[in-house]
Amino acid sequence: MIDNNFKNEKAPRNLGLYIHIPFCRTKCLYCDFCSFVSRDEQQREAYIGALLREIEARGTKDYSVDTVYFGGGTPSLLSAEQIGRILDEIKESFNVSPDAEITLECNPMTVSDGDEYFKELRALGVNRLSLGVQSAVDEELKLIGRRHSFEDAKETFWAARGAGFENISVDLMLGIPSQTLDSLRASANQVINLAAEHISIYSLQLEEGTPLFRMRERYSLADDDAAADMYELVVKMMKDAGYRHYEISNFARGGRESKHNSKYWRLDEYLGLGLAAHSDFGGKRLENTRDMDRYLGGEWLQAESDISNSEREFEFLMLGFRTADGISKSEFLARFGVDFDEKYGKKVEKFKKLGYFCEKGDALALTERGFEVSNAILTEILDFDY
Amino acid sequence: MNERQKHIRNFSIIAHIDHGKSTLADRILEATQTLTKREMEEQVLDNMDLERERGITIKARAVKLDYTAPDGDQYVLNLIDTPGHVDFNYEVSRSLNACEGALLVVDATQGIEAQTLANAYLAVDANLEIVPVINKIDLPSADIQRCRDEIEDIIGIEAQECPAVSAKTGLNIDDVLKAVVDLIPAPDGDEDAPLKALLFDSYYDSYLGVVVYVKIIDGSMKVGDKIKMMSAGQVYDVVDIGTMEPFGLKSTGELKAGEVGYFTASIKSVGDTRIGDTITHVDKPTSEALPGFKAAQPMVYAGIYPADGSRYGDLRDALEKLQLNDAALSFEPETSNALGFGFRCGFLGLLHMEIIEERLEREFNLDLITTAPSVIYKVTKRNGEEVMVDNPSNYPTPDEIEAAYEPLVKASIITPTEYVGGLMDLCQDRRGIFIDMKYIDTTRVELHYKLPLNEIIYDFFDALKSRSRGYASLDYELAEYNKSDLVKLDFLLNGEQVDALSFIVHEEKAYARARRIAEKLKENIPRQLFEVPIQAAIGSKIIARETVKAMRKDVLAKCYGGDITRKKKLLEKQKEGKKKMRQLGSVQVSPEAFMAVLKLDDND
Repeated sequence: MIDNNFKNEKAPRNLGLYIHIPFCRTKCLYCDFCSFVSRDEQQREAYIGALLREIEARGTKDYSVDTVYFGGGTPSLLSAEQIGRILDEIKESFNVSPDAEITLECNPMTVSDGDEYFKELRALGVNRLSLGVQSAVDEELKLIGRRHSFEDAKETFWAARGAGFENISVDLMLGIPSQTLDSLRASANQVINLAAEHISIYSLQLEEGTPLFRMRERYSLADDDAAADMYELVVKMMKDAGYRHYEISNFARGGRESKHNSKYWRLDEYLGLGLAAHSDFGGKRLENTRDMDRYLGGEWLQAESDISNSEREFEFLMLGFRTADGISKSEFLARFGVDFDEKYGKKVEKFKKLGYFCEKGDALALTERGFEVSNAILTEILDFDY
Repeated sequence: MNERQKHIRNFSIIAHIDHGKSTLADRILEATQTLTKREMEEQVLDNMDLERERGITIKARAVKLDYTAPDGDQYVLNLIDTPGHVDFNYEVSRSLNACEGALLVVDATQGIEAQTLANAYLAVDANLEIVPVINKIDLPSADIQRCRDEIEDIIGIEAQECPAVSAKTGLNIDDVLKAVVDLIPAPDGDEDAPLKALLFDSYYDSYLGVVVYVKIIDGSMKVGDKIKMMSAGQVYDVVDIGTMEPFGLKSTGELKAGEVGYFTASIKSVGDTRIGDTITHVDKPTSEALPGFKAAQPMVYAGIYPADGSRYGDLRDALEKLQLNDAALSFEPETSNALGFGFRCGFLGLLHMEIIEERLEREFNLDLITTAPSVIYKVTKRNGEEVMVDNPSNYPTPDEIEAAYEPLVKASIITPTEYVGGLMDLCQDRRGIFIDMKYIDTTRVELHYKLPLNEIIYDFFDALKSRSRGYASLDYELAEYNKSDLVKLDFLLNGEQVDALSFIVHEEKAYARARRIAEKLKENIPRQLFEVPIQAAIGSKIIARETVKAMRKDVLAKCYGGDITRKKKLLEKQKEGKKKMRQLGSVQVSPEAFMAVLKLDDND
């Protein structure tokens, strides 16, 4: 069995908490996450009730919770009072570290009285917001089913700033139907002008079963070359604006990398609470049910699987190579008892020559070019027979 | 001639493809009460699935029918089926030699086609009585009189009184049976003379061993007889002998002069039976053997490889099984650096090749990669050596070659007059040498050309059909070898030659073909993690060049929260896809892409 916190045997182990809020005002056309268009306050209340029971039941004082992440869905659909009750239960059931990063995902326009709402969130201890801006071009926002304008997004952003949020992340989307390099440049400039601490860029993925997938014939979507041009443009603009490209999709400045998301890439432990939430906890991967009725009835767990040593090794590389820091060969040896170069060196060498990897002492990481074709590289080098 | 022989008729049905040969055979079976309608499976004579689907007969089949003539006389009719396609001409002629007559089926809406003529000439060569049968008279566009005139003008046989039928509806089928009895001669031959029997077909049965089809010319043959194959030289004991009934073999213990039937004699492989061989008794042999046939020679060669390299053994077993019943199929192991282990296979023609490929894929559940078909080239080297080359990989280098020769065929094309111009352009373009052009009537023309076989195996048939809206028909036979300016065209991916893509081509065509294939490679090779130059070369000279740009985007830039399994599944799916890839040097290409490059289309 793997010891996830092998580096700090003595200190209490850290833990991240993910809280899933599966409600949205409307569903975006590309979305295939587990979310429902919220019907009424009663249903939300019922869900919060079930969520509080799960938090209580799975609570443990053996860990020090250093991140809490409210994801969705649209967590900002909940009132500050509701968020407060959830946080209270978390503090009741877990040891939450005083300097924990507490993030809430937030969509523009869902905040009725923005200034007041954000102030209340701050007072509850929420210290980081992730704001779904996506584009600064209203026409593009409409095409993917977002129900806000860029003006709305800006207002929401400044309201959060005004309420004292000093750590805000903004999402920007690439490959939106009708998006061009020029319109993307305009969006990126607008986002940079907001001077957020953190920016995530996501490529629009056409997922089967989403309305946008069914409508794909109607729009001309960016081909691989165009998508690569877009990615490269944004990467350059972000870097010029002083952001560090610390993960394939993520940029930060002033040391404001997402602590919570970093746990995913480092195989640190996290517990997912709520409908359809995933956990990596106690050496197991756990998956909660996606069935709302079952969840409300108190049956949250759907599947759990032990992760073998070799599967961990696979995950360690798959996720580690998403980061600019890459993987540490000595950490790899310590975790898995395997000499990285012995097992993977020959394959990596080939890609190093092609400019896809760079090596800094003990660390091996994909280059910017390597990021862009990372799936192809990973399928070549990873050991799939775990 | 005795009474028994007087009541035997041995005949074949010959026709251009789709003129209704098999349907007519069905109706004859029905009309002779050999099969009731309810019992009858459509087209009983064609009993391979593939044959039924393609509506063609691949292997000759024979069946014995009992017929009561209107005057009450009882007749035995032996219907010997023949393949209709040019690839199998050889099998047609061997079957015809077991007959005294042939029904020549002509589609009343189409008239005479190239294979009608070719088959009619084969029947004439075999001294058969030819009885024309005009078919499909139920169709609105049928022109019976024109058809009768055409048969008389072109083939020179009387046709004003011949049966005009609809095999589909059964109309006038009795006329056909009456014509068979009245017009086709009974077999002569002396049943008291020493045994002389013609071996005209054989097939392998897993229970019986090889089943041999024979026609007894003179004498008689029965169970227990010690017989000798005169040209092959082996001696066997007859184990079983009898007739071919519609539902299977029926032992009769004996066959006599004029009769057609089968025997078994513990023969292990069809390779031990020579089609056209003469069978006689060891004790009392006939003094004179039948003239015999020339063995069928493969004309087209291609490499066949399993798409999944681990199934090489399965492919070998499958080819061995097919060869049990198809002596014309040849194969030997070959190795390609691109495709691994496979077989170089020889075929009678393109259709034969397609049929073998399809049977391998369908009956043996194999996925195949087939290289571009090649003909056999003859090369004389500067050192005086002469080599026959059926695989481009073995083609001598330019500086070794004194002279190269390629096979030509004599092609006959029958077409409505309006397409003559286009088809002459096509033949010209395919390096054809015009021989002559004959008007069949005011609307149709027969063109004769000498054409290089390697132009014909390169999508000629499709081009012919597309330039004539499907109306032109083609027949050809091997004519001679001609000196030719041939070059070997090689393809290099990322600087490494891919042997499976090489082919021999006429110098004049090399540039255009090189460019086209380089473009196809570019279209079909997936972008790799590095730039892939594609080069076409003759010797060391590069004559065409393309580039597959390096892949730029293959990344999951999406947050699935803590759901690692989705990322993993995505990578696993991608890895599965890669496993099917073929490694051509440093380049990965899917078998589908490889086939797409080799697939010939009209634009090439």
